[in-house]
Amino acid sequence: MENVKILICDDSILARKQLKDIILSYGYTDFIEASNGQEAIELYKEHKPDLAFLDIVMPIKDGVEAIKEIRAFDPKAYIIIVSSVGTQTQLKNAILEGAKDFVQKPYVDSAITEILKRRFEGR
Amino acid sequence: MHTQFFGNFLLNKGVITPEQLIDALKVQAYAHKKFGTLAIHSGYMSASEVEDVYITQTHFDKHFGELATELGYLSADQVDELLDTQLPDYMLLGQILVEQKIITRIEFENLIAEYQSAYEIYDLDLIDEQKDMVEKLLANFYLPEDAPYSQNILSYLTLFFNNLVRFIGEDFTPLNIIVLPEVPTNFCVSQDVEGSFSFLSALDMEPETAVAFASRYMNEELTEMDEYVRASMEDFLNLHNGLFSVNMSNDFSMELHLHPPVINEHTTLATESPSYLLPIIYSFGTINFIFSVKMSASLEDIPAAGESDTQGADGPESGSDRSEAAPEETPDRSEAAPEETPDRSEAALEEMPD
Repeated sequence: MENVKILICDDSILARKQLKDIILSYGYTDFIEASNGQEAIELYKEHKPDLAFLDIVMPIKDGVEAIKEIRAFDPKAYIIIVSSVGTQTQLKNAILEGAKDFVQKPYVDSAITEILKRRFEGR
Repeated sequence: MHTQFFGNFLLNKGVITPEQLIDALKVQAYAHKKFGTLAIHSGYMSASEVEDVYITQTHFDKHFGELATELGYLSADQVDELLDTQLPDYMLLGQILVEQKIITRIEFENLIAEYQSAYEIYDLDLIDEQKDMVEKLLANFYLPEDAPYSQNILSYLTLFFNNLVRFIGEDFTPLNIIVLPEVPTNFCVSQDVEGSFSFLSALDMEPETAVAFASRYMNEELTEMDEYVRASMEDFLNLHNGLFSVNMSNDFSMELHLHPPVINEHTTLATESPSYLLPIIYSFGTINFIFSVKMSASLEDIPAAGESDTQGADGPESGSDRSEAAPEETPDRSEAAPEETPDRSEAALEEMPD
């Protein structure tokens, strides 16, 4: 499996672990972890990951603000929101900022593996 | 209640594009519920029967209910009942997508059925004995000053018990709700939620109980208090509040803003108004759920769940500035509720013909 870098940003260590476990069992092993939006932006700029998973409700800077800054730096950034607050407004804001998908928590594993397939299959 | 916003379900399925969703949400703020949508929602009519009435309506200048009765699809009592029925906003979203010819009415009916079978959670999906216990507990317990929010509080706590069953286990016994002016904490995680219905929520328990709680939540045997135990309590609370905000948005276009959960160990929870303390006994220990309504929003701004008119939905733009969200974001809702009577007539329902 080709090596790809995946950024996981969630203030919950548990949420990061759950996401990592699914991705690991799918076969990707190169992770960058952030626990708030600001860290995600900085780590994105440093590592330029191929895919980023962002939570919304986080301290310091939330996920939607982070998408905006990441996309200003890299308009091609492939960002997926994984959040428990999939409301009309949050969904709309995430889409308008350029999120590719919005996964409502709690999710089933296949919701994540589908995204990996879509992103990396045939690359 | 549902575990996902209907618009997100349609998006994930690839039924609509993000642009189509955003356009439809913009229109939703001004859209009027139609009688046909109410009839489908109630289950009294199928999509093809509704379609038949709309086609017939092009030949006869009659109201939907009148024609549906003549065609034998509805009884007069059902028409009266539907005129008084609330329509959740996600049904209005579907109606708009039909009007915009993005989906057909039959597809809408099928999508709703699929959405409900996959994402609907039923009120108190508990064993009978326990259901009685929880229902008795929730009946009429709220404080007089919380009365305007009583429906919201009831929905919130019902969802809480549902989430306990889903994520921790159904082997619990709820004790009577205690009202406290302030709450001393043990190991406690709290989360503030702001909007036209603002509140503080918290989970408090002994550290050993927290370890057992986290073991259940993670489905993994934990032995000591560590960051995963803290994260489990935060996650559970955040998930519960997140799902509540999704439902308020899905049904009433009410947008709530969640703050990140905070840990309050051995302190006193500062709340503006009295707190409800719900002790819940599990075999592994007692967990305390704490809930306190914030009275910052003025009474006119309350979109009381189950009582608000779907036509008074917030504009989709309104929630964009989430920090100062609630009070300003519902300009038409405060007027909508008391003055909804003129729109209640069938003529108003049908004033936007296909």
